[in-house]
Amino acid sequence: MRRSVAARLMRERLAPSDVVVCGLGSTARAWREQNAPHPTYYASDPMGMAPALALGLALARPDRRIVLLEGDGDLAMNLGVLITIAGAAPANLRVAVFINDRYETGGGQPLPNAGRISYVTLAAGAGWPWTGEAHDEAQAARLFAALLELPQLGLVAVHVDAEESPYPPGPGPTSQAEDRALFQRRLSDER
Amino acid sequence: MSGDGQAHAERIVGALLRAGVEIAASLPDSWLSPLIERISNEPKIRHIRVTREDDGAGVCAGASLGGKRAVLVCQNAGLLLSANALAGYAHHHQLPFLVLAVYRGSYEDRFYYQMYKGLVTEPVLDALRIPFHVVDRIEDVAIVEEAAREASLARRPVVVLLRRAALLGDAKAS
Repeated sequence: MRRSVAARLMRERLAPSDVVVCGLGSTARAWREQNAPHPTYYASDPMGMAPALALGLALARPDRRIVLLEGDGDLAMNLGVLITIAGAAPANLRVAVFINDRYETGGGQPLPNAGRISYVTLAAGAGWPWTGEAHDEAQAARLFAALLELPQLGLVAVHVDAEESPYPPGPGPTSQAEDRALFQRRLSDER
Repeated sequence: MSGDGQAHAERIVGALLRAGVEIAASLPDSWLSPLIERISNEPKIRHIRVTREDDGAGVCAGASLGGKRAVLVCQNAGLLLSANALAGYAHHHQLPFLVLAVYRGSYEDRFYYQMYKGLVTEPVLDALRIPFHVVDRIEDVAIVEEAAREASLARRPVVVLLRRAALLGDAKAS
């Protein structure tokens, strides 16, 4: 499954009120290409920090459901956050981990022990109450729907193809701090 | 637990509440035990226990993104570990939060393994362009509240380094 398909399947299942946080790299790029209407915070950089930031946002905004779209390289940098999130257990946080076993944007180098890592096992072992693993489009569609029907914290690991993930041609019109301000304004206006 | 430690924790948490802090992330140090225990028992503060200090920085940044004031409570080793996260949230995202870090490895300490932390903490924070203030005595606890306001105004994390005397008074500490 191409990562754009996984991103589309998620977009099609989100509620209009959902808020998205993206980790860095090709997962964020796949989501950006969806042009989804949902408020989205692209948390890059620092690498490895998106899950913690999503947790903090979920705690600060219990009135909104926060959906973290994360890459395996980003998550592998900081597996301890699975324990932190399970301990906090915010009912309004959902996580999808896109697994391509590579540092796609960095040049496609393999993760350590690529192909033999089970993120659902790691999450379950860290105490997550619900996990699912999707290897194809049908499984992803079903598990994303199940994830979003949960009344509690959950994580879906979705396997996607290794693909080229070139850097965008330019830096874009707005800085991270400007994007942050725009995101905050939108969340504030939607109260 | 020393009586001084509990009394000082009470005053520090009072400053956090006056500053509007509603979310705290922590990783322990023995000198922080009374403060973390007091935070954990404070109903107006959501306390999150983290496995690494930079996770705490991320939690605080996310809380700030969502419009809440947050504090990271940790040892100064956690500042060293969190250098990339602190710099990223300070200068790239410009997300404010407060950090209360115990100042290990200085004249009050009694352990070889703490000393390097005291040597490098302030130079590292300087290099990161992260504002910091040292609280030597609990009488200066108002700095906690003022640093939270400074963070909000500056749109970046501000660190308060707490000496043992500010946390525990004259009590013997490990």
